[in-house]
Amino acid sequence: MPLLKVENIFYSVEVKEAKKKQFNILMNVSFDVEQGEILGICGESGGGKSTLAKVIAGIISPNSGNILFDLEKQNIKRKSRPIQILFQNHGEILNPFRKVQSIIDEALKINGVSEENIETEKSKILNSVGFPKELYKRRGYQLSGGEQQRAALGRLLAVKPALLILDEPFSAQDIESQLNLVKLFKGLNKDFNLTMICVSHDLRILRNLADRIIILKKGEIVEHGETMEVFNNPKEDYTKFLLSAEALNLTYDELQTSSKY
Amino acid sequence: MLKVDINSVSVLGNDRKKTILKNLNFKVEKGKVYSILGKNGSGKSTLIKSLAALLPINEYEVIGEIFYGETDLLNTSEENLREIRKNKIRYVFQDAANSFDPLKKLKYFFDLSEVDPIIIEQSLLFFLLPTYKELSNLHSYELSGGMAQRLLIVLALFTNPDLLILDEPTSGVDYAATNLILLKLKEFVKENDKSVLIVTQDLNFAKNSSDCIAYLSNGMLSSFLKPDDFMKSTSDDEMKRFIQSFKEIENATA
Repeated sequence: MPLLKVENIFYSVEVKEAKKKQFNILMNVSFDVEQGEILGICGESGGGKSTLAKVIAGIISPNSGNILFDLEKQNIKRKSRPIQILFQNHGEILNPFRKVQSIIDEALKINGVSEENIETEKSKILNSVGFPKELYKRRGYQLSGGEQQRAALGRLLAVKPALLILDEPFSAQDIESQLNLVKLFKGLNKDFNLTMICVSHDLRILRNLADRIIILKKGEIVEHGETMEVFNNPKEDYTKFLLSAEALNLTYDELQTSSKY
Repeated sequence: MLKVDINSVSVLGNDRKKTILKNLNFKVEKGKVYSILGKNGSGKSTLIKSLAALLPINEYEVIGEIFYGETDLLNTSEENLREIRKNKIRYVFQDAANSFDPLKKLKYFFDLSEVDPIIIEQSLLFFLLPTYKELSNLHSYELSGGMAQRLLIVLALFTNPDLLILDEPTSGVDYAATNLILLKLKEFVKENDKSVLIVTQDLNFAKNSSDCIAYLSNGMLSSFLKPDDFMKSTSDDEMKRFIQSFKEIENATA
């Protein structure tokens, strides 16, 4: 069995003012995630990417469908959730009033790390996410967006998740930091055999990161495959449209037709 | 069109000042799109605000000359400046949704422009925005970020300015809308012999939209280069890393 099995997820919200009361955000979404892979989920704004991430993490419940997580692969008895999520809202992902070191210490304790090993574990984790030692004593509000993101990532890794979900981790980062983050995630994936799902509208970045890719259009999966396969031989018109839009070489006529998608 | 010779831009503190930009010398010519790239905090927004004397004089000191035609913008009456900012040099700021008065319906902004309804309709259609009828009764906060950005550009273009200055026009805007903005800006400068100046972090957009690109780092501006030459440039370390990172992401083979 794969690490995670997502089966026929439906999620909708009620819109009070609209004539059509139900607004479907996710429609019959199914896919598997294998141990150790990085899966990219891509699509335009409003396509349901973040909602899907939250459903998988168990933050919101779908209207119907199953999320099956293979606990057999988890031989440790855990006190924390095996699925952790890095949210996209920068500046809101870390408690602004607490010191980074105390946030990490707490997570390590929860995860059963003994008192004498906390220091070494903490350095190991914060090192792996590129968070510098001189900032350990800083509080959330004293850090830049990028530093906060790294500290939050450290906090997630401290509880040794089996699956890490990244929600638009690259937005609001300059291009150099984006590239560094890609290298960081790939390193974590390799060194800890950490399975990841990365949600992003940025196909270029996902091409650098993901082994497989899912294209989500208005709540439905329209294409699904090996990253390079999807990039080199996109089958769906929507995928082709996303790829040319990203290269910024669509003509006006093409843009007009595509707005009907 | 615009000739900029700024010696320094400084922030004034209590009894000291900090210089954040120095020796900015460039010309903006008609019929061209210019882009200035730089990282967060490099002073891009300050640079463009200094051009039409938008920096508050009790907080900033700008030394130099900025000639728009015969007028030195740093040395002219507030009245003149207001007239120029209204019709000649238009800004579209970052964070588009907050550029509108949230208490006014969008109809108010369309009315201000005094533009023929047919032209309004055509422009909205071009930018794949809802019709005038649908939009006019909405408030700005009911628009998505990308829609607000496009609408601001539409409204700025209605005044047919000589120079349109855009601050991060693609942040928070999806690729299809970015594509539209790019097409419109190119058309605007070519057909009307106008100029556009963009400050952005988005090298992909700058490369595809601009005739000339410069890089801002450590308060200094590189010279403006054609996109192809810019991509090969190695004059500044930070700029080199910026371009290198972009190429690395672009050429990934996963």
